[in-house]
Amino acid sequence: MANETKYWKGIAQLNDEKFVEKHQSEFAEYIPVEEFIGDSAKMESSSTNRRDFLKFLGFSTVAATLAACETPVMKTMPYVQRPEEIIPGVANWYASTFFDGHDYASVLVKTREGRPIKIEANPLSKITGDGKRGGLNARVQSSVLSLYDSTRLQGAKMKNGSAWVSKSWQDADAALGPKFAQSKGIAIISSTIASPSTKAAIAEFAAKYKNVRHVTYDAISYSGILKANNSTFGSAFIPTYNFDKADVIVSLGCDFLVNWLSPVEHARQYGLTRKVGTDKKAMSKHYQFESILSVTGSNADERFPVKPSQLGAVALGILSGLGGSASASAAVMTKEVGKVVDALKNAKGKALVVSGSNDPAIQVVVNEINRTLGSYGTTINTDIKDLTHQGDDSAFKKAVDDFGTAIDTVIFYNTNPVYSAPGALKFADAMKKLSLRVSFASHTDETASACDWILPDHHYLEAWNDYYPRTRQFSLQQPAIRPLFDTRHAQESFLTWAGNNSDYHSYIQKMWKMNAPVMDFTSYWNNSVRDGVVDMPMAVVVDKQDANPKPAAKPAADSTANVNAQTPPPNAMLDAVAFTGGTLSLSDAASQINAIKGGTYELSIYQKTSMGSGNQSQNPWLQEMPDPITKITWDNYVTMNPSDVQALKLFGVEDDILVRFDELEDALDIVEVTANGVKTKLPVWFQPGQTKGTIGIAVGYGRTGFNEVIDAVGKNIYPSVGWNEAGGTMEYNVYNVSVAATGDEQHEIASTQVHGTIMGRNEDLLRETTLTNYSKDERAGNPKPTMETYAGEKDVEDVNLWNSFERPNHKWALAIDLNSCIGCGACVVSCNAENNVAVVGKDQVRRSREMHWIRIDRYYSSDTVKEVEEDKGDMGTKEMYRKMESPTFDNPKVVFQPLMCQHCNHAPCETVCPVLATNHSSEGLNQMVYNRCVGTRYCANNCPFKVRRFNWFNYVEYDKFKDINPAQDLLGRMVLNPDVVVRSRGVMEKCSMCVQRIQAGKLDAKKASRRPIDGEIQTACSQSCPTNAIIFGDLNDDKSEVSAWYNSGRKFEMLEELGVRPSVFYLTKVWNREDENAHV
Amino acid sequence: MKSHQWQNAQSRRFVVLFTLAISLFFSISAFAAPDGKALFKSKCGSCHYTNDQVLTGPGLQGVLGRVPSPEWARAWVHDNNKLRASGDAYAASIFAKFGGKTMTVFGTDLTDEEIDAILAYADKGGDPKPTGQNLATATTTAATDNSGDNLFIIVIILVVLIGIIAILRYTKINLRNALAEKEGRAEEPALPFLEASKDWMNNNKRKVALMGFLLFCCLIVKGWYALKGIGVYAEEVHPDEWVGYHPSQPINFSHKIHAGDVANGGNGIQCQYCHSGVDHSKTAGIPPVMVCMNCHKVISQNQAGTDESKTEIAKIYYATGWDPVTKTFSLPQHPVQWNKVHVLPDHVFFSHQQHVVVGKQQCETCHGDVKSMTTVEQQRPLTMGWCINCHRTTPVAMDGNGYYTALHEKMKEKYKDQTITVSMVGGIECSRCHY
Repeated sequence: MANETKYWKGIAQLNDEKFVEKHQSEFAEYIPVEEFIGDSAKMESSSTNRRDFLKFLGFSTVAATLAACETPVMKTMPYVQRPEEIIPGVANWYASTFFDGHDYASVLVKTREGRPIKIEANPLSKITGDGKRGGLNARVQSSVLSLYDSTRLQGAKMKNGSAWVSKSWQDADAALGPKFAQSKGIAIISSTIASPSTKAAIAEFAAKYKNVRHVTYDAISYSGILKANNSTFGSAFIPTYNFDKADVIVSLGCDFLVNWLSPVEHARQYGLTRKVGTDKKAMSKHYQFESILSVTGSNADERFPVKPSQLGAVALGILSGLGGSASASAAVMTKEVGKVVDALKNAKGKALVVSGSNDPAIQVVVNEINRTLGSYGTTINTDIKDLTHQGDDSAFKKAVDDFGTAIDTVIFYNTNPVYSAPGALKFADAMKKLSLRVSFASHTDETASACDWILPDHHYLEAWNDYYPRTRQFSLQQPAIRPLFDTRHAQESFLTWAGNNSDYHSYIQKMWKMNAPVMDFTSYWNNSVRDGVVDMPMAVVVDKQDANPKPAAKPAADSTANVNAQTPPPNAMLDAVAFTGGTLSLSDAASQINAIKGGTYELSIYQKTSMGSGNQSQNPWLQEMPDPITKITWDNYVTMNPSDVQALKLFGVEDDILVRFDELEDALDIVEVTANGVKTKLPVWFQPGQTKGTIGIAVGYGRTGFNEVIDAVGKNIYPSVGWNEAGGTMEYNVYNVSVAATGDEQHEIASTQVHGTIMGRNEDLLRETTLTNYSKDERAGNPKPTMETYAGEKDVEDVNLWNSFERPNHKWALAIDLNSCIGCGACVVSCNAENNVAVVGKDQVRRSREMHWIRIDRYYSSDTVKEVEEDKGDMGTKEMYRKMESPTFDNPKVVFQPLMCQHCNHAPCETVCPVLATNHSSEGLNQMVYNRCVGTRYCANNCPFKVRRFNWFNYVEYDKFKDINPAQDLLGRMVLNPDVVVRSRGVMEKCSMCVQRIQAGKLDAKKASRRPIDGEIQTACSQSCPTNAIIFGDLNDDKSEVSAWYNSGRKFEMLEELGVRPSVFYLTKVWNREDENAHV
Repeated sequence: MKSHQWQNAQSRRFVVLFTLAISLFFSISAFAAPDGKALFKSKCGSCHYTNDQVLTGPGLQGVLGRVPSPEWARAWVHDNNKLRASGDAYAASIFAKFGGKTMTVFGTDLTDEEIDAILAYADKGGDPKPTGQNLATATTTAATDNSGDNLFIIVIILVVLIGIIAILRYTKINLRNALAEKEGRAEEPALPFLEASKDWMNNNKRKVALMGFLLFCCLIVKGWYALKGIGVYAEEVHPDEWVGYHPSQPINFSHKIHAGDVANGGNGIQCQYCHSGVDHSKTAGIPPVMVCMNCHKVISQNQAGTDESKTEIAKIYYATGWDPVTKTFSLPQHPVQWNKVHVLPDHVFFSHQQHVVVGKQQCETCHGDVKSMTTVEQQRPLTMGWCINCHRTTPVAMDGNGYYTALHEKMKEKYKDQTITVSMVGGIECSRCHY
């Protein structure tokens, strides 16, 4: 049945025959011969004829051959004194912590000869792991590349007129100390500080100077939740969520899998509830109300598009359905809400409702819903608080209002409000009222360039720090490399100005020693640094927090900053105090929500999975990572429902929206969006699944202060963020915006969504079923493909041109669970880092030349299949097929499918290679030998999965890629993995199933005289997957996890009927809903 | 510059004779006046440099400007203890400055003239000496490359042959003309050389074809070997006798002295003592120069047997920042840039621990008899063909290794009595070495 479903990646693919024809072959794009050769007129007039050309060719071949006859003398320079822990050629791992004020992760840093080259999750941390394995998101994976960013500031700088002058740190301290002393009032504006020692250092600074105010400002704010909890529980805190304990998950515009609060943690928990197998036939039911098609929404079992202004009303609807006292003035989506309410009622104590809104009113309602459902103490943990988001919007606004009066000096620490503050606050103008502005930024970014001093902080891989991300959970950050530039811990700056000359490392140690729960501090400290994380019994934590000096001049209103100092309320008290101590009662919240009026067009300002809040906009890995939904790289844009595109008469579309979609791949019309008085011009991307009347724009783009390439990418939408007067928070939904076509303006985008179109394109790529069917039959939706032969119908496994090969030792395989894959793209970046995959830039991506070895195909599919329509029998065959092929623009079903080289055991690529550069190993790997490859590209053309990548240029040396390719400068080159060859121009490359890791793992086993332990060897993609959706192992090992999946009923191979016998196999997607094809 | 050192016997003989002649010349001149340099090296060099750096005693550059008088210097060298005992203030200060160490008393071993010669030599800073400053820039010393000589001889032979042909032709034309004159015929105008050659070739097509064919064969054979030799730095001159790349090194470290058998005058140090990565890593590693100091703190220049070893040990001290006077690492460090001898291309992954620990291979299999080498020489071709051949013939060290137990049983079934070689367990598959 599932085989009849039509899948498509892009709308063009579905509708345009020209497109299909064009994409039959691997390298379908036009060959830009003239661009290479240059001016064609000049070429034609030149007198070089064919014979001359051949002479030149012959001469250069001979010259090159002769020149290659001598290998140059190579030098080698060992250490004078080898550091004790370094053995050249062997990686060292250090536990550390990543926190940029937005994403928090406990990490392991892999270093080779002292250079950090890869970030992995620390499995010991409860946030990134479960004790055995962990996962990370793309942003944290990419952070290692930001270390080697040559645009980072290399020392302290002072503004002299309009020019920047380099200053020594002594000069900076000498100049700034007296200025701080004379200041009327100093504000330290920072993103959330989760470090007790940093807070102590700031407190020392605050004690030394008068009127010091510490303001916590997060670009992506969770103030709404803090305020709502302050209303509900009398204490401003963010709880932790247990998605793994929830049977019913309802999300109101909350992208909790990739962006909200602690996405990696949520994804891991969610993954657990989505795994089904022989011994577990239950999974969570996930409902999503949302405006844009988010990664979380595309994973939902049932997804309901609503406009941003309706989200509050939906919350009220659910609450009143559950018997709550408040209700919406105008009920919306009553049928859908009713369905959700029924599900919730049946799952009391095992349900979880979350909202991504920053409006305290909505969050108060959501709190009440969760209280009614008994979620507190079960799916929501209020004992363990999330302390990584403490931004206080009203305190920030108050500080900005005080600029020039109570505050004349501002120190910016890890924050960039000129770029990210709502336009209504007029932050850039307010800054001009200050007499002294100091920034710890690592780049001359938007805020730093408006400052008087920039005192660059270390990169996190160069610095010490400690963190207190969750109640009773500490973690440490240790440097993995000596600072590359003349930078200084920001904390050391605070301490120096406070008259404390301690270095920050000893300062942290002193703080920890003061609060250490044990007598033997040295071993306690060493163990803590080794593990990276420390969990503590509750009593100790309270003591420790009390022992910390607190910022002296903190206004009482900034309660959130003191959250971690408060004793968490015991569970029993929660129900007792519910809805009493708040400042915003439920009825007020309801009336605030009811006052929200929607417009014709509404704007949802969202975060992309790759870019997040924009802290790492300069990172080429993130820029080139395709967005999970739109598959666009190197840009932001306006997402719009195709019918809205039609209504605006964009792209010259009148009646048939689909006519010109093929051309749309090349250039998009630009619209001007006016939101909160800020005009932004951006290209329009037609997004199926987007709520009609809603547009979405991602933050994190439109930067300045990096390099030409990065600065040219996208537009900044932060100024359109609104200010919610009633809630005192920043509002990321704009309820009334105008959208206007700009005429002929167009913008070229680089989308990978239809690159590498697979043979058999929209059939039998995926196998799906529903939970109900699956629990009856393990092979539901997954019939064995058969084939007509002269001897009758046979299983494709039995019909084969080739003999089978022996795999006597190992048989490596990858299992990919489509059910727990959320499409987040962490594997893509992890693979980039591990395998030295080149960044090629927007222009090359536009030519289908991205080099990613693993891609995540995102398929939409229609909401009906042949059987269903045949059963109905209310239309003719022709109409039926048309309906089957017509896309559901309003709410398509979405499936993600990670695709790398399938390592076919009967590989079509191998038979066509004229030089045997690709062939098979006895362990089931399809080997690619770069030094033998002559670049015919036959293999890529013959690959049914289109996973081979050709090096059109020498990306690591050609100047053209200077600003995007990290391996271009000597500093960026330090991130390369020395165990993997950097490929040159003219060779084919592809996924090697991380053969370098396999070989290393086998060697370890041989040295220890044993077989490799299952799970010991991990590919880069499987290691970093937050949901454990990619499982690597040995099929010859009966007890391995991958063998168990191989023998399960959910196993299928892509394009199984071809008989290529891949080593990569997939597990069917199981939906927890009635009809697997209908998304609603 | 080509760094090979293929020498033929003839040129070696020439070099030896030339060197002898030069030394003879210098020895003769040595009789004329005391040789400051030679004396300095034999008497003073173990404790003094001729520059401004301190060894055991002060560097002697500019010494004549420092000492009170030449007489004082002579008195100090003859017997510095006596001079100090006489209450000389400068002598006492020098003694105190260099840690109260007594200088050797030379007494009548050195005459006044000899002392003057030594000081004159040292005062100007000696010859530019490799005390280590050149370490970083030290390059491969030019080895005489004799392939050019062969070419030269061939060219000379060719020229001579062409000359003979030209003379013969001239003679022939003259004779013919003389004959014609004698017989009263008109002189035939002589054809130009090229046309004459063409004529000859036209008349002797078979010979030309044969010559062309032979030439072609020669070129093919020569070309084939030339191609095989590209990038290969070792050549098997006789069975099991290899001559290969052996660049000079910034420190003339002799494996023969250090790792050589004790019976042959070596010190018998195990390879792994210095190349400690071999058991743990893909690289065996060139040892950090600090490893040298484990022994050379004790085996200092004073203990060194020859002048050369003194110089070389001084280079270690320079590199590690060791101050032999204070016996501390107080001077700046200078990393040593070695010339890599055994080079594998970047696209090859080779793991020492795989071969040494798991495969139980001896270092000599790939590196030759390093123990007997004064300068390390690449004695194996290190080509892919060579690797593969070894993998085809070498049995897998399966015994006692739990990793192989089950595999071994399977292989025994399949291959019966055959030796199970590395290639049978996939050891010649591409991705074992290339990724």
